[in-house]
Amino acid sequence: MARSFRLFDKKRGNRRTGSKRWGSVGELVVFASFLLFGCAVGAIILDTLVVPQWRANHEFVRVFCQVLEAGVGESQDDEVTVYRPEIKIEYEVDGRTYRTRTYDVGWAYSSGRDDKQAIVDSFQEAADAGEKRSCWYDPKEPKTAVVVCGYRWWNWLLFVVPLSLIAIGGGGLIYTAVHWGKSTEHRAVMAGRSARREPFAANGRPPSPFPNVPEPAPAALGAGRTLPVRLPGDISTRWALLGWASACAAANTATIVLAVLVVGGHWAGHGSWWLTLLLIPLVALAALTISFLLRRLLTGSTTIEISAHPLHPGQTCQLFFSQSGHMRINCLEVLLVCEEEATYRQGTDTRTERNEVYGQRLLVEGPFRVRRGKPFQTTCPMTVPAGAMHSFKADHNEIGWKLVVKGDVAGWPGYRRTFPLVVRPERDKHGDENGNAARPAGSVESHGRAGQ
Amino acid sequence: MSESRAIIRLDENGRTYFPGDTLSGSYHLDGISSADVKAIEVSILWHTEGKGDEDLAVHHFQRREAGNRIRLELPPQGRFRTVLPNSPLSYDGAIVKVGWCVRVRVFQSGGKELLSQRSFRLGKVRPGRLATS
Repeated sequence: MARSFRLFDKKRGNRRTGSKRWGSVGELVVFASFLLFGCAVGAIILDTLVVPQWRANHEFVRVFCQVLEAGVGESQDDEVTVYRPEIKIEYEVDGRTYRTRTYDVGWAYSSGRDDKQAIVDSFQEAADAGEKRSCWYDPKEPKTAVVVCGYRWWNWLLFVVPLSLIAIGGGGLIYTAVHWGKSTEHRAVMAGRSARREPFAANGRPPSPFPNVPEPAPAALGAGRTLPVRLPGDISTRWALLGWASACAAANTATIVLAVLVVGGHWAGHGSWWLTLLLIPLVALAALTISFLLRRLLTGSTTIEISAHPLHPGQTCQLFFSQSGHMRINCLEVLLVCEEEATYRQGTDTRTERNEVYGQRLLVEGPFRVRRGKPFQTTCPMTVPAGAMHSFKADHNEIGWKLVVKGDVAGWPGYRRTFPLVVRPERDKHGDENGNAARPAGSVESHGRAGQ
Repeated sequence: MSESRAIIRLDENGRTYFPGDTLSGSYHLDGISSADVKAIEVSILWHTEGKGDEDLAVHHFQRREAGNRIRLELPPQGRFRTVLPNSPLSYDGAIVKVGWCVRVRVFQSGGKELLSQRSFRLGKVRPGRLATS
């Protein structure tokens, strides 16, 4: 028999098998708890710190008092001694004399004795000289008085905690209430509405007429020297070079510092053999990073230009390839590749899987030598297969086209560089290639109450 | 007792649609009393299947609600019509699949929901298979 309520549900990523209603109830409880806890903490801070301080500054009445004695009070807090100034004063209210030990309205202990001692010394001097000082008493309870007014700025910092809790709880409650009882489709429409309200996409341009097809990098258009479009390399290639340069700098700096210490130690006659042994793997690591960086630099830059971009299935265009550097290449390949990418959550991990679904070798060259100032250059035609899927990008799924350059370099490990392409859907049978005739915008209708 | 369901019909049954085409059709409820229906949602949407977590976007959405104070019955049938967008096209890949469908969701009294959907293809794209070379 099926149970109507299950304590444990199967879950993979965002897909749940449990009741949506119970899920929403759970969310409400969690967010309401955050909100209530935040309000409670805020109220406590207000009551114990802010309101007394405000009253001391605005409602307490100023009178003159006689400082009788001053000292530093001590207390133990988790085996740490904390201090506070303790000033014994005598003052008169409505003909009645009050004596109390006080300082400020919070009168809290804190670490560091010296600053408290300095405060106490100034009051002790007044006591010794018989000087009168100002104090402020509470008109509702005249035996409560302080000798220092003002605000402590760090009290306001304490509000960060309750305000964060209130923001999380309140925001979560609003979100849950807005989405309460809404279907998956209704939620998706609401998300889409907010996206459509933006006049421009994230890249600052008007929304594309091709939903979920990525836009080509604007810098690429018109930037080519031989052909109109120079393709920017995959960002990861540039980050990899920066990463190797940073690793090389770090490894070599550490090696040099350690080498100086070791040599200096041995020179002075008290060298450490442990440090000397540690130097060996560090030198090897530094040499390795230099070798990799040199390889990256010596392979030079790869430039790809094409005659049209974005492309569409069935379209043929010209490709210009240029490889600079100083090396002997055994084999060089340029491939047109289509890759699917799926991101999914497994437990608490987010995993990404990639699969190549199309690969076409456009260019195979080698062996040949590339010299400085004389890059290897060639052109070839490139055709996106007819009937192929266009580029597609959603939150968890992606279909991407790219040109992949694989180089087998003599004496060095090979290299691989990628150049993303954008392939739009095939020319619309009803309109132009920019999709102007087709009306991509969706529609949302709400008929309200039937019969009204 | 007959099974409750929503039957969806596309006007040009089974054909492949292309960007800019008009998709129209109708639905009717079978085995559900109109008085039990609180609301009906009709969505024309694409969603992904396969290895990754599901992505979904609604292209066309209409919601009809029954009155609350004086119970007004919804007619147990309706029509929908929309112009299809340029993308994404239907695709059957190795680990990513993109599918289009018309989905009718019926909210019944007592918190019950009934979901029916009818798939259709947008565009003619060759299936993606793992590259061998």
